[in-house]
Amino acid sequence: MIRYIYAGMLIAAVLSIACSGQSEPSAEAVREQIQEIGEDTGNESVPPRPSASRLRVATTTSLYDTGLWSYLEPMFEEEYGVELDVLYAGTGKALEWGRRGDVDVITVHSRTREEQFVEEGYGLARVPFAYNYFLIVGSPDDPAGLAGMTPDEAFTSLMSSGEAVFVSRGDDSGTHGKEKAIWSAAGYEYEDVRTSGDWYVEGGSGMGPTLVMADEMSAYTLSDMGTFIAYQNDLNLVPVVDQGDVLLNVYSVLQVTSTRSPEMSANLVEFLTSEAVQDLIGNYGVGEYGIQLFTPCAGLGM
Amino acid sequence: MSQLLQAVRIALDMIISGDPVVFSIAFRTLMISISATALASFIFIPLACLIHFNRFRGKRLLLSIVQTFYSVPTVLVGMLVFLLISRAGPLGSLGMLFSPGAIVLGEVLLIAPIITGLTISALSGLGSDIPDTALSLGAGKLQMVLKVLSESRYMILTAILMGFGRAVSEIGVAIIVGGNISGHTRTLTTAIALGVGKGETAASIALGIILLALAMIVSVTVNLLQHSEK
Amino acid sequence: MLLELKGISQSKNGTRILSDVDLSISRSAFFVLMGPTGCGKTTLLRVAGLLDKPCSGQVIYSGRPVPHRGKERLDARRRMVTVFQRPVLFRGSVNSNIEWGLRIRGIPEDEIGRKVSKVLEMVDLEGYGDHDSATLSGGELQRVALARALAIEPSVLILDEPTTSLDPNLRLTLLRRLKDLHSRTGITFLMATHDFTDALSLGTAGAVMRNGRIEQTGMIDEIFYSPSTPFMASFVGMKNVYPAEFKEDGAVVEDLLIRHTSNRKGHGFLAIPPESIVVSRETTITSERNHFTGTITSVERAGPVFSISVDCGNLIIVSSVTRSALSQLDLTEGREVYISFKASAVHVF
Repeated sequence: MIRYIYAGMLIAAVLSIACSGQSEPSAEAVREQIQEIGEDTGNESVPPRPSASRLRVATTTSLYDTGLWSYLEPMFEEEYGVELDVLYAGTGKALEWGRRGDVDVITVHSRTREEQFVEEGYGLARVPFAYNYFLIVGSPDDPAGLAGMTPDEAFTSLMSSGEAVFVSRGDDSGTHGKEKAIWSAAGYEYEDVRTSGDWYVEGGSGMGPTLVMADEMSAYTLSDMGTFIAYQNDLNLVPVVDQGDVLLNVYSVLQVTSTRSPEMSANLVEFLTSEAVQDLIGNYGVGEYGIQLFTPCAGLGM
Repeated sequence: MSQLLQAVRIALDMIISGDPVVFSIAFRTLMISISATALASFIFIPLACLIHFNRFRGKRLLLSIVQTFYSVPTVLVGMLVFLLISRAGPLGSLGMLFSPGAIVLGEVLLIAPIITGLTISALSGLGSDIPDTALSLGAGKLQMVLKVLSESRYMILTAILMGFGRAVSEIGVAIIVGGNISGHTRTLTTAIALGVGKGETAASIALGIILLALAMIVSVTVNLLQHSEK
Repeated sequence: MLLELKGISQSKNGTRILSDVDLSISRSAFFVLMGPTGCGKTTLLRVAGLLDKPCSGQVIYSGRPVPHRGKERLDARRRMVTVFQRPVLFRGSVNSNIEWGLRIRGIPEDEIGRKVSKVLEMVDLEGYGDHDSATLSGGELQRVALARALAIEPSVLILDEPTTSLDPNLRLTLLRRLKDLHSRTGITFLMATHDFTDALSLGTAGAVMRNGRIEQTGMIDEIFYSPSTPFMASFVGMKNVYPAEFKEDGAVVEDLLIRHTSNRKGHGFLAIPPESIVVSRETTITSERNHFTGTITSVERAGPVFSISVDCGNLIIVSSVTRSALSQLDLTEGREVYISFKASAVHVF
């Protein structure tokens, strides 16, 4: 028996050493963290409903890591009396699930792929509902001196010097798509960039985790504004490049054609583009971060 | 170092005070893994008896294959189940993907080799004396099998516990076919992965302590059972 | 005939273990199966007890051939029980062990209690019912295994070398108990042993096996006093076994003429039991028709008696004398002695 207690203590000690260097969390902050990865207690007292009254939404990670979905989810569930299952995926994965009919609605941010998705008949229509901008962020000392450059200038500089580390999403997400677009605009073949050296890191994770990785490595990365602002306080990264038309980031909601719940899916689209919710989206995060994370844009033809 | 110990203290506090969020994730994980273990036991212990007590061609090969799959990578099983139950897949009409049932299905497949293989080990460990004695006292085949199961009950219980241990600590299946949906398919392992990835260390530690405690309870129980065999 | 085996052959993993074995066991016999270790006794008992199916041949129980599967086989198997060399008890109490065979036959509850106490009394274990099977001594374990077998009231009780792993005291007790049970219950016993003295004390009929075949079978007396082959003779402990040429006036062994009382002619064997040979220091006129002289080559202890080897020219004959005879006659190595034995004592086969 003693053996097991020692083993347990040893493992706890190892865990401690492995994770040293974090900022000191307060009990409140930890509770919040648990809430983030846990769930509201309210839902748990209600037994899960049968699948007919569950709606599945696959969302791009940036909408999730900002906490926007956790904010909107209970409202939608209350109003329409349905359980919302929010799946955390990159744009690529969300589109794939949409094609397979495994989800009912997707919220993503990659215009060309969304249009193709609709054209191929997998989605009903592309409905933009919010936008913000991408940023290139990096450590405060800016080793590659990218501050003030345009996006393609910055990328050219990174590629030619090949020294400063850049962390890519590497997961076929909307953000990754935007990154590839910038490389293209700067005149590079993406394959060449990928294989050009150790400075280019393919993370394969969602937006939040990618920011954490870039922070750890004191590297640069491309992030949407919303997620970055939401994470800013916990990270040692600053915006380095924030000017350029190419950095526009539009979020759309698409109803999957082969959904089993067409009525409820339409309700979700309606919900996100309704005046009340649009207002909420626009005000989201202002109190906490002092700045708008998303700008509502339903019906503006973006 | 002190920040970390502080986080551990907070985590322990959450456990002792019975924090509802932590415990709902733990409870769900237990329900899923216990269901998977029970189902796998109902199906695969009888199958193990069938294999052990019958002679047939390729029996040894079958046993090797079973043992090879003891430590099949969990993501492989996850991927297989995903392809099966996705709406685009052969069992798509069941609409099981991204539900706790999908995780149970995946975990049943995951621990099937362990339950089957360890049960067969338990039965062969008993040797031929008990089966012979039962038969010579006039038992029919089924009566003999039941008696052998009864005599090797501690070893079989060990097999079941090992299966449970693997189910509760796996992540590959849960994350691929469960989708890590908050309030629905989020388990201890998927929640920890999410938390660590997002830098929420302290919260992950609280969940990690519970997971570790579960794993240790399984381990200690198995040990005690093996002791009482002697 | 209660149990018959006809033409039984058995192989395991490609090795032939039994070849064309025939056996007949009558009701209420105490049949002893003998043979050196490894000759196939256990395999044969398993076929007889319907635990294994033979590669060829038939088991006939109560006049009906037992099929290889089905209800008829199960019914036949339920009329027999086998107690193994090192019996294994089930987990739990002595009572639960003994009850098990009754429960699986669906015997009603009240009868079970009665039968259990009866058999416990038969093996002198009254009051042991609640003892845990793991706490029993070796001897107690054996008795519980026996009680467990008796409880189901079998027609045939098969025992595989029950005395082999016991110390001499336990062995004697067990043999006595088995004999007692046999006469009390009238159950047909089939017992394997490699110690033929078990057979002499308990058996009514028996068979001797060698390399998977039956060397000789019949009533116990026949086997022991009329061995049919040299192997049998040496198995039953006969000494002075020699090949002989049987002629008109006697049997020629080397250059000695030995008189006997059989009609045998031609090649054969004869044996002279050591205890029928008389040793003396001077020649005497006696009724024995065989007289030889020779020199003592060795004097050896053989249990309570002494074995005297006498060199009679080309033949060494072993005689058996008591201690007092040894000292009275002052038999030592090198002595010249006279030996004689009756013609009727000579065993011919």
